[in-house]
Amino acid sequence: MYLSASNDAYDYRASKTPKSSLDHSLIPPCQAACPLHMEIREYVDLVAQGRIMEALQVIRDGNPFPSICAYICTHPCEEACRRSQVDKPVAIRALKRFAVEFGGDRRIYTEADTIHSDKVAIVGSGPAGMACAYYLRKMGYPVTIFEAHSEVGGMLRVGIPQYRLPREILNTEVQRLTQMGVEIRTNTRVVSLDLLSDMGYKAIFITIGAHQSLRMGIEGDDSPGVIDGATFLREVNLGLKPSLGKRVVVVGGGNVAIDAARTALRLGAQKVTILYRRSREEMPADPAEIEQAMEEGIDILFLVAPIKLKRRNSKLNMTCIKMELGDPDATGRRRPIPIKGSEFNKQVDVLIAAIGQAPQMPSDFRLRIGRGSTIQVDPVTLTTNRAGVFAGGDAVTGPATVTQALASGKLAASRIDDYLQHRYPQVDRETRVGLTGDLLPKTIEMIKTIGRLEPPILPPEARADDFTPVELVYDWATAISEARRCLRCGMGAEITSQEKCATCLNCLRVCPYHVPYLDTNCVVQIPVEQCLACGICVAECPAKAIVLRKPYDRRQIAEELDHALKSAVESKSRPFIVGICCQYGLFGTGALASLWRESKAGIWIIPVLCVARVETDHMLRPFEMGADGVFIAGCGEQCARENTALWVRQRVEKVRKTLAQVGLEPERIQSFMLSDTDEDSSTDLDQFIAQIGMLYLTSTIKQEGKS
Amino acid sequence: MIVAEQKPLEEIRQMIAPYQKILLLGCGTCMTVCDAGGEREVSFLHSALRLAQAKSGDATHTFSEYILKRQCDPEFIDLLADRVNDVDAILSLGCGIGVQAIAERFSDIPVLPGVNTSFMGMTKEWGVWDERCAACGDCRLAETAGICPITRCTKGILNGPCAGTKNGKCEASKDMDCAWVLIYKRLERLQQLEKMRRYYPPRNFRAIPRPRRLVKKVNIAVGESDG
Repeated sequence: MYLSASNDAYDYRASKTPKSSLDHSLIPPCQAACPLHMEIREYVDLVAQGRIMEALQVIRDGNPFPSICAYICTHPCEEACRRSQVDKPVAIRALKRFAVEFGGDRRIYTEADTIHSDKVAIVGSGPAGMACAYYLRKMGYPVTIFEAHSEVGGMLRVGIPQYRLPREILNTEVQRLTQMGVEIRTNTRVVSLDLLSDMGYKAIFITIGAHQSLRMGIEGDDSPGVIDGATFLREVNLGLKPSLGKRVVVVGGGNVAIDAARTALRLGAQKVTILYRRSREEMPADPAEIEQAMEEGIDILFLVAPIKLKRRNSKLNMTCIKMELGDPDATGRRRPIPIKGSEFNKQVDVLIAAIGQAPQMPSDFRLRIGRGSTIQVDPVTLTTNRAGVFAGGDAVTGPATVTQALASGKLAASRIDDYLQHRYPQVDRETRVGLTGDLLPKTIEMIKTIGRLEPPILPPEARADDFTPVELVYDWATAISEARRCLRCGMGAEITSQEKCATCLNCLRVCPYHVPYLDTNCVVQIPVEQCLACGICVAECPAKAIVLRKPYDRRQIAEELDHALKSAVESKSRPFIVGICCQYGLFGTGALASLWRESKAGIWIIPVLCVARVETDHMLRPFEMGADGVFIAGCGEQCARENTALWVRQRVEKVRKTLAQVGLEPERIQSFMLSDTDEDSSTDLDQFIAQIGMLYLTSTIKQEGKS
Repeated sequence: MIVAEQKPLEEIRQMIAPYQKILLLGCGTCMTVCDAGGEREVSFLHSALRLAQAKSGDATHTFSEYILKRQCDPEFIDLLADRVNDVDAILSLGCGIGVQAIAERFSDIPVLPGVNTSFMGMTKEWGVWDERCAACGDCRLAETAGICPITRCTKGILNGPCAGTKNGKCEASKDMDCAWVLIYKRLERLQQLEKMRRYYPPRNFRAIPRPRRLVKKVNIAVGESDG
């Protein structure tokens, strides 16, 4: 038996060595926080590499309507992002919007064939209903959506103002559903589920939302001039223009309150004030929305609540009381307590009460109701008390986010599929564990702080008059710079088999972030929650005992090299130069990006995810295949990591020594760290390419002289 | 740890010239730690040899790679048994001990050294190793504050410093610390300067019978009572 493959080495523990195809990465906090469990880390990384279409693919895999989320997701992922321990979280939602718009989500055509005969009815066309319809249709079920209003979209249509979600985005998604063959019946209020069963629907998904506003429960709360938030937004969004007068007061602190206030402003109200009974800290609305509302001139009075309303001379006389915060209540927020004798009066034209909503279910549905008029379901199967009837979305949870609704629709689709196929519910078989724990101070200290780049927004003066979207999309360069801030949690390095580790401690010495450590048993540990996957220790481990946790990262450079070298050898063009370049930089704004765009004949670019991962073997390989020169180009100052240039130079020097011993000119390999500002480095690179051309010519002349 | 340095590629190529199928054999212990013959170095040498062949246009040699956890123990070497049947020569990237152990085990296969075994030493920092022990078999470190004059003094003198010390450096090289100045300073810290006032008789330089062997096990005759 003659062996040539190096990966056979150490067969005495081969059984314990994990196969190279296994994904050992952990679920990052952003993904764990996302109701849809989107592969956020993966698509952010793809954006950073400029691979926008692939990023969109990853996004579409987890989210049926990414363009909607790209506008209005409340991004719990950003709250969980560990970058905030260093500076600020990665702007994930804005990056998704970039991927969706630049990746061409609008043009993606989705098809579905009918392969099942069991019809499914979906009552309500909000995000949960749409998501459920999308997935059931993809599985091949005939699906009908029943919508009471004249237009499809539920809260997306009647709740969310247009300046946050342009209607053409929603229309595109609705069209996609129609394209897939989902039957949509608008202006059709379902009053009886029995009727649906009689019509032949084998399963019903109830997703009627929570459209019924709660009343304030104070004297005069039914006076003319008092309108509830949900109704107000619904009327505006369906094209009515309620008259508001000059002074409008909105009561409440959630997103509906902010939406109502900003909408009132856009309808021409001169003075819009929000009353909230707690302080800004407890306000449940998205902080960015609060910020934008205040920029637009909306006043927010904190720790104030109305206690009495009286209509007089077509004005509302409102008595308010000041509050102070007491002990935390069941929700964990501090309870507001009225301050005796602090009452004051205020006169307004219209009061919009946005203090919460509840589902309003036709009594003939005969479904079991729980707390806050919500439908009671089994959390795993989403089944109600009636056979074949499932429920989800706000109707089950009470007012929640669009992502939660989409997640519930997605879950419902698979549960309905299980039900119709007479299967035991298939619970997701996620084998990876979630990443927990904070970064250590010594690690944080070594991470380059890079300020979060916000997408541009319209200036306040340009936006308060109409309903054009406030937030704009990133440009290419900004998106890539922002995406590179991702710390790549949970996909770092690991020692796959401790037996192979010689405990040389190189990894401890080379890690720029002080991550590996020696435990009390003298075993080297690389804590996964600290490692940032720079790959320096992988390339420096003399025992090759360290690998990156993602199979793609383990294979990437070797595969790209194989591919390019094969094509290069076939093309026979000379001189033949291989450029191993930082892929992040290639799509950035610096000299490297121009290199990619103006790639010359005979130069074969190997994109790598950080040059620090390039090993000496990789550098030598092209010469073996006949390359005349090799250069390694890092992204220089743009690099989000530490010490990359140093390690590249160390390795280049080693390769140069070997080249000299083989009789090749050491200057055939060179490293460059290109940056935005540095003009010289790109000139150097041009010179290097010219020099290799010369070396090739002289060697050819010498050869001819010999023969 | 034993520290070694890989031989120049040219020398390795000359050594392997007569053979076709060559096993590049790494060692997973000291040679891995000192970056001379671990899996990474074996793989890099493999690439370099292939490159050299491609460059010179001769394709005589084919190479295979294997790494043993340690080349200096017979049980580890047993793992090689069915990997060497077809091999013309083994290029061992183990230290001199490894090369000999492999040669001892496979009497019919030429075993070639891929590294120059340099010294016994320690890691100073990443990529830097220093010699510390000469294996003289007569340790005096208790008297010299834990600093070995045999290894670290160029002359290896036992009653130093000599007249060649200057500003704490050795006359042989201004980058090298004078071992006896180091010893003096450390004894001073330890408040044991009286040890400097003593005279240390010369070491026993009579020829040590080589090779040395260390026997720890006690020879016990197997008797009837052993059951």
